[in-house]
Amino acid sequence: MSIDWKAYNAQGVWDELVAPNGRARSGAGGLLRVLRRLSDDRLAARQAAADLAIRTMGITFSVYHDQTRGAIDREWPFDIVPRLVRKREWDVVSRGLAQRVRALNLFIDDVYHRQRALDDGVVPRDYILRSREFRPECVGVDTPHGVWSHVCGSDLVRDERGTLYVLEDNLRVPSGVSYMLENRAVMKRVFPELFRHYAIHPVDDYPRELRRCLASLSPRDKARPKIVVLTPGIYNSAYFEHSYLAQLMGAELVEGSDLVVDDDDCVHMRTIEGLVRVDVIYRRIDDLFLDPDAFNPDSLLGAPGLMRAWRAGKVALANAPGCGVADDKVIYTYVPDLIRYYLAEEPILPNVPTYRCVEKTSRDYVLEHLEALVVKPANESGGYGMLIGPHATRRERELFRRRIRAQPRNYIAQPFLTLSSAPTFVKGRLEPRHLDLRPFILSGESTYVTMGGLTRVALREGSMVVNSSQGGGSKDTWVVDN
Amino acid sequence: MKQQTLSRVAERIYWMGRYVERAESTARLIAVHADLLLDLPTRRALDWRILLDITGAGPHFATLHDHATERNVVRYLTSDRRNPSSILSSIANALENMRTVRDTMPRVTFEYVNELHLFAHSGLHGSLSRSRRFEVLEGITRRVQQLEGFLSSNMTHDDRWQFLRLGNHLERADMTTRIIDVRSGVASGDEPFEPIQWRGVLRSLYALQSYQAAMQAPVEGPAVLEFLLQYEEQPRSYASCLNSIKFGLRRLPRNEAPLRACEATIRHVRQASVRDLAGERLHAFVDGCQTQLGALHDEIASTYFHYVPRVPAGARRKEAQGE
Repeated sequence: MSIDWKAYNAQGVWDELVAPNGRARSGAGGLLRVLRRLSDDRLAARQAAADLAIRTMGITFSVYHDQTRGAIDREWPFDIVPRLVRKREWDVVSRGLAQRVRALNLFIDDVYHRQRALDDGVVPRDYILRSREFRPECVGVDTPHGVWSHVCGSDLVRDERGTLYVLEDNLRVPSGVSYMLENRAVMKRVFPELFRHYAIHPVDDYPRELRRCLASLSPRDKARPKIVVLTPGIYNSAYFEHSYLAQLMGAELVEGSDLVVDDDDCVHMRTIEGLVRVDVIYRRIDDLFLDPDAFNPDSLLGAPGLMRAWRAGKVALANAPGCGVADDKVIYTYVPDLIRYYLAEEPILPNVPTYRCVEKTSRDYVLEHLEALVVKPANESGGYGMLIGPHATRRERELFRRRIRAQPRNYIAQPFLTLSSAPTFVKGRLEPRHLDLRPFILSGESTYVTMGGLTRVALREGSMVVNSSQGGGSKDTWVVDN
Repeated sequence: MKQQTLSRVAERIYWMGRYVERAESTARLIAVHADLLLDLPTRRALDWRILLDITGAGPHFATLHDHATERNVVRYLTSDRRNPSSILSSIANALENMRTVRDTMPRVTFEYVNELHLFAHSGLHGSLSRSRRFEVLEGITRRVQQLEGFLSSNMTHDDRWQFLRLGNHLERADMTTRIIDVRSGVASGDEPFEPIQWRGVLRSLYALQSYQAAMQAPVEGPAVLEFLLQYEEQPRSYASCLNSIKFGLRRLPRNEAPLRACEATIRHVRQASVRDLAGERLHAFVDGCQTQLGALHDEIASTYFHYVPRVPAGARRKEAQGE
């Protein structure tokens, strides 16, 4: 039996492909026609082919590891039905994202220099100086082009009325872009005929753009700089991505122990020929592990002296240390103000309406309406430590009530959004599942936004949790002309 | 600017080269041994323990089992992860090394190694019946050769490639000497079956056919020794492996010390009258070869892998005082 789109019921939800009357949304007609012609069995065969391709291509993420069995890799969960975004819509989103990241970078640079925005009261000074992510070590450092967050991954969600919101900006070490690239590669392998109906914008120029962005930060030769990707090692959940990007950029993948900072503040790597100087480090480890001399003295992941080299301008670090000061869900609420303040422009993309628990009137409202709200800690990622009001028990809500009262600065609250859905192949047939979208924004000498991004999908029915560490899957994302 | 090879990466590629070679030669060894048994009358001295002697695993095996039977020896050598040199351990180690350097190899390499691992993992799982054994072992050797063929024609023949080949050839040289050492001990004095034993030696090294073509002589001890130790055109001969190592080292930077060690090893085998070796003297000669291989490995490791850069002592101190 092939799917009956009238019976496909995305109740009260905005579906990305299917309109409420069961017809295709504009642009999705060709895709739905192909899917309609395929029986569930034939779809299952395609899904199996995709799973096999992912297995043999070794597209994995590490879940955890133990002493006897080594790293446990799980195959990357991938759904064969692509998610469509029309180019016309994407152009607006893309401009909106570039605008946000531009303002955020100006803000971070300002925080570590004159602090104009704090003087002018745009963001309360206290929030910044007491932020866990504020690094006194970064004060006064001039970064190339004044950019701090060179690679940003922003999460977009669409609500039941079809409005796209920015849910958060991951400014520190966002991951997922390799899966965006691999999803496309797998899709071309297992479902080539779907591509016939569309002019799909390619995504595979990302590694080249990333290289170009990183090269523009080089303190020496910008034409042929020595670029390395610094990874915590094979047990990191995103190791696949570190390795993948290093290879596609023609950069060395290094671990902290490969790097040596010399007397002259230059960073070198140990090679079979001796020491070789490094210009740009795309680091995929957190600030506090970067340099045991400057931060966590027990860290074996970084290299002693790295901060010294960076402050002396002898090496570029991307993303720059300290950029996390703007990656905070309380600061997020100020992004529209920051755009107006630094750029004198109106924000193109809206924020999800957010209550700052630190402000009394908002806090009172939040405490009154916990059963309708989602409460998030200001500084966690990966979907951890959240309260989803409508699904929570009375005890859980009580727990959060106490936490919010004790540390209001650490919490924000948002209305419970019903994320949009798309047909997803689960349990042998197509059913609606909720999803989000993470595009990536590169900032160096110039700015680049990916064509689409990584679509993450919650595979459990009704679930809104899309994180791969918590059972989320992914889809290929097509930006299409029409 | 060409891509530099990190010391850590060179070391892991080298070990990957050793491990895949070890997996292949062990698979080949078991398959040939099983086949050989069929040519010998039952209950000959030739039992499964000999494979433990060749792989040097006897003492460790003895800590796990009281008796050596076909079943437990085969399992120990194929799928037992407690044996660090079992086929499955070797492939898992190769994969682990590969994982950490996958960005420096042609992308498809990982698929080959990963597929090899999946095949070995499912194929060697559980009890391996005799009939299926051959098929699985063949499957493993074929996949390793496919991998090596792929790399040979698709990997840039740069420094990394040289380290991969150094690993391959050192391991291969090592296995050739081990097989000669153990088999010759069994073969001598077992008159009627000696040719069968020596044929087994040659077949374990894929060398029977080329022996017949090159030596134009019946299979007998002295000629086989000469062929496997000195004949430079035979790719698994000791001399040929050393030549390949020398060739590789010549293309690497800062190669003086390892090259010296390699050349000493080559002189040792070239100057020996191997046809006259037998019994204790053969054993002592092979022992000498193995010691030299060990020294060669150490030179390679200390030159390229564990190179200690001269960081001025001031660097750390200055930072510690907080500038």
